[in-house]
Amino acid sequence: MHPAVIDPNSTEILPVAFHPVLWVAAAGVFAVIILQSVIYLRAIRKAGAEARLTDRQVGRAVRAGAVAAIGPSLAVALVAVSLLPLFGTPAVLTRIGLVGSAAFDVAAAGLAAGTQGAQLGGPTYTQKVFAIGFAAMTLGGLVWMVTALILTPILSRGDKALRRVNPAVMTVVPAAALLAAFFTLAFAETVKSPVHLVTLLVSAAVMGLCLLGAKYLKKSWLHEWGLGIAIVVALAVAYFMTAT
Amino acid sequence: MSSRTSNAPLTGLAQFDRTTSIWGPITLALGFLVSLGAALFVAFGTGLGITAAELWKAVGLVIVTFGVIAVVEPIAYYPILGRSAMYQAFMIGNIANKLLPAALIAQTDLGEKPGTRRAELIAGAAIIGAAFIHLITLVVLVGILGTLLLAAMPPDLVAIARLYILPAVFGAVTVQAVVTMKNVRITVIAAVIAALLVFVVVPLVPALANLATASAVVIAIVAAWFLRKRTEGPPAAPQSIGH
Repeated sequence: MHPAVIDPNSTEILPVAFHPVLWVAAAGVFAVIILQSVIYLRAIRKAGAEARLTDRQVGRAVRAGAVAAIGPSLAVALVAVSLLPLFGTPAVLTRIGLVGSAAFDVAAAGLAAGTQGAQLGGPTYTQKVFAIGFAAMTLGGLVWMVTALILTPILSRGDKALRRVNPAVMTVVPAAALLAAFFTLAFAETVKSPVHLVTLLVSAAVMGLCLLGAKYLKKSWLHEWGLGIAIVVALAVAYFMTAT
Repeated sequence: MSSRTSNAPLTGLAQFDRTTSIWGPITLALGFLVSLGAALFVAFGTGLGITAAELWKAVGLVIVTFGVIAVVEPIAYYPILGRSAMYQAFMIGNIANKLLPAALIAQTDLGEKPGTRRAELIAGAAIIGAAFIHLITLVVLVGILGTLLLAAMPPDLVAIARLYILPAVFGAVTVQAVVTMKNVRITVIAAVIAALLVFVVVPLVPALANLATASAVVIAIVAAWFLRKRTEGPPAAPQSIGH
């Protein structure tokens, strides 16, 4: 649709990132979520009588869920907006609209860029690198949907093999995997440039302050907003360091 | 799930179980297919000359790094979400920070404790409400206002936001992971292994740079397993990178 501007080596990623097909896919994802919600809501209403749940109470539960989601949704929107310059709107909407997160998506795209000998965002961030990054984070994210699709029926049958898994596996393995992944990714940023190092430290410090504030000042909203605030403050510091 | 004879008319909860066990997987699979199509289109349909080998190399690295978490998370969330809500949660995302609190608040509001059938229906309804707000804020704040903001931003600001978004995300996420896990031993193990790889191994063998993260994950899992405290109790809250 943009035949004239598609160029694997161009660092102008917008023709690919804002490709009409990606907008259609984002709309499609949203439509599927709406379809699922409509089907579930009808099923819940029909089942309500047998579970002492009136239609009125179903409505109340929907509203309670909606109100509870306002704060976290705004916090997620802030993080999503901060990713727009890197990935463009359709990719951010598809990834965050579906199961996804800033942490995983940026990590996945960064790993994918590395296989091209490139880095996200810099002079080596070409259309081709964006495309591989987007495809890798999307296909990687799909693994969660596949495991949910496969494991849910197995778990609902009360599968004995899965229940017999040593509980320590469920604590040690994901904790080690997650911490090792993000420590490595974070440390790798420190050697790129002094500005990267400072940006990383500022982000970590702001997040630490937000989490401390959430705990000791009893401001639980700081917990939700921590990531968004840390990203914005760290980027602002990076901006002022490079502007002078 | 209640047992039932195959031809008896289904009512109430049995009908709910049937509907969600059919349409839950179908809608989740639809979401899967749309995403799959978008990813394959960007890689192969845009004329960028990306080969299958290049794509699988990138995807393989992502799966080696995060695949184990993708297997553990559904198992960890199942007891809390219940069967029907699994298909909602793994489509909508933001499970720990948005969907679970929404479900718990709605259950408290209607005087129900998690674990009953009534609680399951309330959680499903609350997740629908949360998903509605989620989609509205994404469309309005990110899709419309965010895109306008992006277009209005000076190019040098966009360039900075692109160039330094990785350290800005990873600094905060690493601190968040450390605090959430509350496990000093595994934190130290992971940090030491990551530091050795990034500051010692990769400078000596630059060819390993791309494999550093995946290697750190695999080594840390093995090391943490053999060095674990043998008295550790069952898992508390599910661990998540924000899904």
